[in-house]
Amino acid sequence: MSVEMEWAGERLILLEQKAIAWPRTRSLIVADLHFGKPAAFRMAGRPVPESTASDLDRLDQLLSEHRSKRLIILGDFFHSAAGLQLEMMDAVADWCGKKASLEIVLVPGNHDRKSGQPPACWGIQNVADGWSLAPFSFCHEPRDTAGTHVMAGHIHPAISLREKFGGGMRVPCFWFSQNCAVLPAFGSFTGTHTIRPLAGDKIYAVGDNEIVDLTA
Amino acid sequence: MSTGEKKFLRWFKEHGWKLFKFQRQAWHAALTGGSGLIHSPTGTGKTYAVSIPPLIEWLNENPKATDWPKTVPLRVLWITPLRALANDSAQSIMAPITDLGLPWNVELRTGDTSSAARAKQRERLPSVLVTTPESLSLLLSYPGTREKMESLRTIVVDEWHELLGTKRGIQTELCLARLRTWFPNLKTWGLSATLGNLEEALHVLAGKAGAAQLISGDLKKRIEVETLIPVDIEKFPWAGHLGLNLLPAVIERLEQAKTTLLFTNTRSQTEIWFRALVEARPDWAADIALHHGSIDRQVRQEVEARLRAGTIRCVVCTASLDLGVDFSPVEQVIQIGAPKGVARMLQRAGRSGHQPGAVSRIVCAPAHALELVEFSAVRAAIAARELESRIPLERPLDVLVQHLVTVALGSGFSEDAMLAEVRASHAYRNLTYTEWKWCLDFVTRGGATLKAYPQFSRVRICEDDFTVPDAFIAKLHRMSIGTITSDSAMAVRVLRGPMLGTIEESFIGRLKPGAKFSFAGHALELIRVRDMTAYVRRTKKFSGVVPQWLGGRMPLSSQLAKVVRRKLSEARHGKFIGREMQAVKPVLAIQNSWSRIPEPDELLIERVQMRDGVHHFIFPFAGRLVHEGLAALVAYRVSKQIPATIAITLNDYGFALLSGTPIELREADWQKAFSPENLLEDLLACLNSAELARRQFREIARIAGLVFQGYPGSGKSARQLQSSSGLFYDVFTRYDPENLLLDQARREVLERQLEISRLGATIGEVTAMKIVLVETERLTPLAFPLWASFVHANVTSEKWSERVKRMALQLETAAAREKMR
Repeated sequence: MSVEMEWAGERLILLEQKAIAWPRTRSLIVADLHFGKPAAFRMAGRPVPESTASDLDRLDQLLSEHRSKRLIILGDFFHSAAGLQLEMMDAVADWCGKKASLEIVLVPGNHDRKSGQPPACWGIQNVADGWSLAPFSFCHEPRDTAGTHVMAGHIHPAISLREKFGGGMRVPCFWFSQNCAVLPAFGSFTGTHTIRPLAGDKIYAVGDNEIVDLTA
Repeated sequence: MSTGEKKFLRWFKEHGWKLFKFQRQAWHAALTGGSGLIHSPTGTGKTYAVSIPPLIEWLNENPKATDWPKTVPLRVLWITPLRALANDSAQSIMAPITDLGLPWNVELRTGDTSSAARAKQRERLPSVLVTTPESLSLLLSYPGTREKMESLRTIVVDEWHELLGTKRGIQTELCLARLRTWFPNLKTWGLSATLGNLEEALHVLAGKAGAAQLISGDLKKRIEVETLIPVDIEKFPWAGHLGLNLLPAVIERLEQAKTTLLFTNTRSQTEIWFRALVEARPDWAADIALHHGSIDRQVRQEVEARLRAGTIRCVVCTASLDLGVDFSPVEQVIQIGAPKGVARMLQRAGRSGHQPGAVSRIVCAPAHALELVEFSAVRAAIAARELESRIPLERPLDVLVQHLVTVALGSGFSEDAMLAEVRASHAYRNLTYTEWKWCLDFVTRGGATLKAYPQFSRVRICEDDFTVPDAFIAKLHRMSIGTITSDSAMAVRVLRGPMLGTIEESFIGRLKPGAKFSFAGHALELIRVRDMTAYVRRTKKFSGVVPQWLGGRMPLSSQLAKVVRRKLSEARHGKFIGREMQAVKPVLAIQNSWSRIPEPDELLIERVQMRDGVHHFIFPFAGRLVHEGLAALVAYRVSKQIPATIAITLNDYGFALLSGTPIELREADWQKAFSPENLLEDLLACLNSAELARRQFREIARIAGLVFQGYPGSGKSARQLQSSSGLFYDVFTRYDPENLLLDQARREVLERQLEISRLGATIGEVTAMKIVLVETERLTPLAFPLWASFVHANVTSEKWSERVKRMALQLETAAAREKMR
């Protein structure tokens, strides 16, 4: 079950598939896809199963469910140059080919800078200097500037929860502070980084089938 | 008698020694081409039983000194489990060579060997190469090694008991199999401390190679065991309290001996004892040292050198000094805290009186009252010579996968011959063809399904020749050889000063800059953490916390557990034999009046209502390894009846189920929870609910070469490949559920962590037992340590969202915004 919330006066839907739907502008926002990471590992002799197709399927479902006309990608579209292998590239190219009417905006991340831009024929708009659609600006790395509302990725946030008598677990999360919202990584083969939120921040834990507002 | 033999007998005589019967037996067997395993207590002269026959053999073949070469090429490969031992062994082996002026050289090849020396060895190997299993594997990963080993005649595996039953032992078996394929007439000799299953130890060492004999060191080592009885008995002991009330008595003992080894069971305990000793006797500060596995190697070596020279009063240490380094000056050994095993206790006692014929003395210092029972039990077991066995592992596929890449990288292999070679080892004698095929597929195609793993190649096949053509993959593999896994450790370094050692990342993560702690015997203050290094400065006075290291806690052996139960039963019937049992009498009296001392045929369950919840304490006395599985199983079954999250703590005597949700169970419910029905299904279910398989997968992922830990200097390209084993576990479970490594993780948890055979046996015993449910008002002496110890796992049947919301109430927030990177 997704969760609805309001930020900067806009209604947002946080999705357990690790994306945000922004209904007013019919946009879907995701971060850190890391396409080609499994392939990069395989090239180095580490057998990782392919997950690109299933990640693309998940995107498809979300786009149609929310009738999105725009996809905003907050960086790290590709994992590394070594991972730009035929099978993954074909799958993504096919997928983009079928999305002619979808506006795809990519705010490049640190990984993209090394692995290079997606081919121009994929129709992905590469916005190197960040991008805005009021009231939000979109970046890869989080920024904390008073008076702005930034959506970012990069850190793959997760929150560590403790049990009463000890032990606990770590779950990926959406992290909203006053000026910045950080999305969990969308790609299947990505790790997480444990964050320590400040009092007043909003944290939404992402489970398999639901989202829970931890600061409700 | 041959000329060679005569020469060495004379050498023995010149040193005032005489050849023991077992040494004579070993010489004879080795000189007639035999293999075998020699077992005897430490310090009885095992080294010369096996290091001299190859010299005699060579001398007989080359009687004329004028025909001798400048240096003899490789004849003996000496494998030792511990780097620290390598130096000592090399020196012992070298002594007769120097005295007789033979053209032999002895060299080390371990992780500590310089790259220049290693490069030289790749050109030409010494007459005797002393090495570790990891370094031997690494050597096999270079092409041309076989040619350089052409003249190899003998392999010696030192401290075989330490390797047996571990993945390092399996790695050794596979290397032995390789060497035997190359040189079918190789002799293999193992050296071992006494074990409960020596015959089996011999078979594992010899593999299919066959004829090998067991030779027993006929020296009965005299061992004196003494227990310090505290004047004031700690009635409510807990894991964190470490017997410091015995400090005055221990100091008195330290005053009496020139050099003492003070053994504790955990690294944290050594830190605490060191701190306490230095605070009590500041005049000894320069005369006491600390030695454990997380302390920097150079510091450890300095301590070892001082021990050898006898210029130090006391070294506080852990298992890091268990093994056979010869520290002759050690006069006395003190054991702090429960011994946990009979063999280990004997081993530690043997660190003193290391010379043949000398008496070994060990002084036991119980950390709390119940350990008196354990010491009393260990004394009884030593007297009756009831020793533990080391059970060999069965065909772990992760080690095989790693070895296949190693061999492909070295000489390469062909399929049928390699299968025969692998099956010749004891560990893989029952390897199925399906498993073999899967391993081959795994290294060549990434998995059983070609589709799922495009672009993958680690090992390439070209007409039945398996090799590794990619230089980058080769480099990564060589850096990852080995089966020792560690938690992610963080280096501790004095700012603009020396390296002190490593501490678990999670411990440092909880400290803030400015926090005081002690480590490696220093009082420290954390300055900052950067690039996986914690920079510290020294402070004057000890204060603050002592680091904790996960794992490494030794379980009570089942052998000893049995004797402990026997001792308790005697106590219940008013029989208190020996000083230890007399001393513990008042504590057992409290246990018996507040609750009960269980008979061997009773399962005691104590229930206590406390402010934070209802807790159950269950005492099967089966050792912590069995309790791990049993607790997870019982918690799982209980949580199926009531939605709850149950925290498990455990020790060697029993386990606790702690829960904030009130749990009401009658005798019949408990019987159900311990029922042998659906055992395997329920165990598999709780593997998931307690995340046990996922945890075990860490080790497997690393050995099978999935996770690359990254080393200093491994470069940027390698950093892009870092990933956690948990992530691998998740993607495999989702996209490749048939992966056999997942299977292995489950099997290993079932066989090792949950010790399914022992668990099944325990369940069988428990079913026959009478369940005694006691409602207690307070925590009893048996329950208290369980209540106070760390939570081992949580088993939950709560809804995910409910649980997450409940835990969110305890969410800590940071004081300041973390720099948004």
